[in-house]
Amino acid sequence: MKNLLTKTLTPFTIYAFIVLAASIPVYFFLVDWIWINELDENNQLIAQRVEIEFNEQKINTEKLKESIDFWNEIQPGTHIDYIEKPLAKDSTYSIYRQNPYYEKFGGDKVNRFRGYITTIQINDQHFALTVETNVEETEETVGYIAVVTLLFFIVLVLGFWLMNKRLSKQIWKPFHRTLDRLKDFQLNNQKQLTFEKTDIKEFHELHVALEKLISQSLRTYQSQKEFTENASHELQTPLAILKQKLDLFLQDKQLTEEQYTLVEDMQYSLSRAARLNKNLLLLTKIENEQFQTKKPIDPGPIVEETIDMFQDFIEGKVLQIQFDIQGIPAIKGDSYLFEILIQNLLINAIRHAQPSSTIVIILNETTLSVSNGGTQALDDKQLFKRFAKQHDNRQGAGLGLAIAYEICQYNHWQLSYTYSQKRHQFTITFFPQII
Amino acid sequence: MISYIRMMKILIVEDEIHLADSMVRYLSNESYRCEVAYNYAEAIDKISYHTYDCILLDIMLPDGSGMQLLQELKKEPRDEGIIIISAKDALDDRIEGLHIGADDYLTKPFHLPELAARIFSIIRRKQFQNTNIVHQDGLHIDLLAKTVRYNDTPITLTKKEFDLLLFFFGNKHKVISKNTLAEHLSGDFADMLDNYDFVYAHVKNLKKKLAEAGTPSFLKTIYGSGYKWEA
Repeated sequence: MKNLLTKTLTPFTIYAFIVLAASIPVYFFLVDWIWINELDENNQLIAQRVEIEFNEQKINTEKLKESIDFWNEIQPGTHIDYIEKPLAKDSTYSIYRQNPYYEKFGGDKVNRFRGYITTIQINDQHFALTVETNVEETEETVGYIAVVTLLFFIVLVLGFWLMNKRLSKQIWKPFHRTLDRLKDFQLNNQKQLTFEKTDIKEFHELHVALEKLISQSLRTYQSQKEFTENASHELQTPLAILKQKLDLFLQDKQLTEEQYTLVEDMQYSLSRAARLNKNLLLLTKIENEQFQTKKPIDPGPIVEETIDMFQDFIEGKVLQIQFDIQGIPAIKGDSYLFEILIQNLLINAIRHAQPSSTIVIILNETTLSVSNGGTQALDDKQLFKRFAKQHDNRQGAGLGLAIAYEICQYNHWQLSYTYSQKRHQFTITFFPQII
Repeated sequence: MISYIRMMKILIVEDEIHLADSMVRYLSNESYRCEVAYNYAEAIDKISYHTYDCILLDIMLPDGSGMQLLQELKKEPRDEGIIIISAKDALDDRIEGLHIGADDYLTKPFHLPELAARIFSIIRRKQFQNTNIVHQDGLHIDLLAKTVRYNDTPITLTKKEFDLLLFFFGNKHKVISKNTLAEHLSGDFADMLDNYDFVYAHVKNLKKKLAEAGTPSFLKTIYGSGYKWEA
């Protein structure tokens, strides 16, 4: 994952590169054009000077040819030729010449020259004067411009990068604070989030939208909880009526054995419905934080009472219970909830233990674990979900482990599941923040 | 000597007609007479003119709270046994109710035999405090000492067997299903196991012990898996 600013940095860099690259030929043509113009002007000035100087010398015609030859010999940049008629017009040209002194003095092998041909008059005779001046070569100009441009490009990118780092720290500060708040948000806390005031329009809009969304979620969640609670409460009465009418029905003297069996089956299903309903109510109450008692709990006796309570089930499956107290954790909470927690964990172990096997319960200063034998690891993602079915589930308790999980959450304990050496183990960690 | 010297009067305070009706029909027999108050006002009216042996009190009434009624009842010394009936399984309510002076607390939905057994125990406890012994054809059950004998032969029962015996005693002539017994013995977790064999095992042991002491077969198996205590 990239952060947002790195994403903008890349196109900025590419754009800067394109613009700067495109500027190289533009600069080159501009510089070259200025060069050529200046040199043409310069050549014209030289031509004028040559014409004036020669005329001022007042050299006679015989001597003039000699002088011009001499001039041509020692002035390599200019050349004077005798012509019959003056040139129709002046002309300019660019030319590359081999450097004859390259071997001797080094420098460029080939040089570019800008030439100017004009007609001068000396002693009423027409001469064609050629003036040539060395111009910087095209490639060299391009090279220099490219190097400078690249330098600027590097400066730009570095600048972008530095500014990005600073900006991401400063501008995004309120955003990160908002994000932190959202990460801490829990729907079942029922607390509306408030965000810091910001003068950035986008963040302000984000805050307004978030606050609206959150308050809506809270309302929905609240009404859903109320619905569950009300529905469960309202269900108690019809369930009670059904249960009691069946009890009365059993007293009918005309009842046949077949009808009796039907009533037993109905009663069984009713028991399940009633318990499910009670469990739903219990979950809602835990979520509504209706258990506020915080008293010291001694898990040992509660576990022993629970084992005692399930003695019939334990004997029915010929199970062994091994309860090791290695230490006593100093915990506080609601003892009623703790009993329910232990009951659910133990009944779960009893239900899933193979007959004649051993259930091991270990209590120490920081954890309480319950384990039973098994053949296959359970899906720990589904395990603590409400009404989640496991592969071998016959009569899905559905809510037992979800309740155990909620109770642990409520007390800030951690309930975890592990499967090793063919044993399912549920562990309550009482002080998860320390470990 | 017969334990029931007179008819026991029970007041049922319950706004749900179907529930009140079921309770009346199940409980009314040669030893219990039931009256019903469908709301708070009626209940107040009845308790100010009559005394009862046991009052069943629904906490949520359309025109008042059962808790209030309980407080009214406890203002003057009365010796009715009071059982709170509630759709709420809240521990606080339970503690508050028992604290104010209720004798027992039942959460809806419950089985009628469960209610009958509780009423039986409470009336016995309230009215026969010193010699709380029930008899039937030579079978003596001491509710305080939790001992049983047939004529002069003591019968040693486990806690659960004794509990079952009392449960049957509170539901004489009634058909009790295995399901009801399972719920009585293991509460909310009755349906968590695949079968109710443990109920069968306990009842079988109880029957065997009673038979060994020579009692007539009071406890009958009916319709294959139901039970009935004959007196």
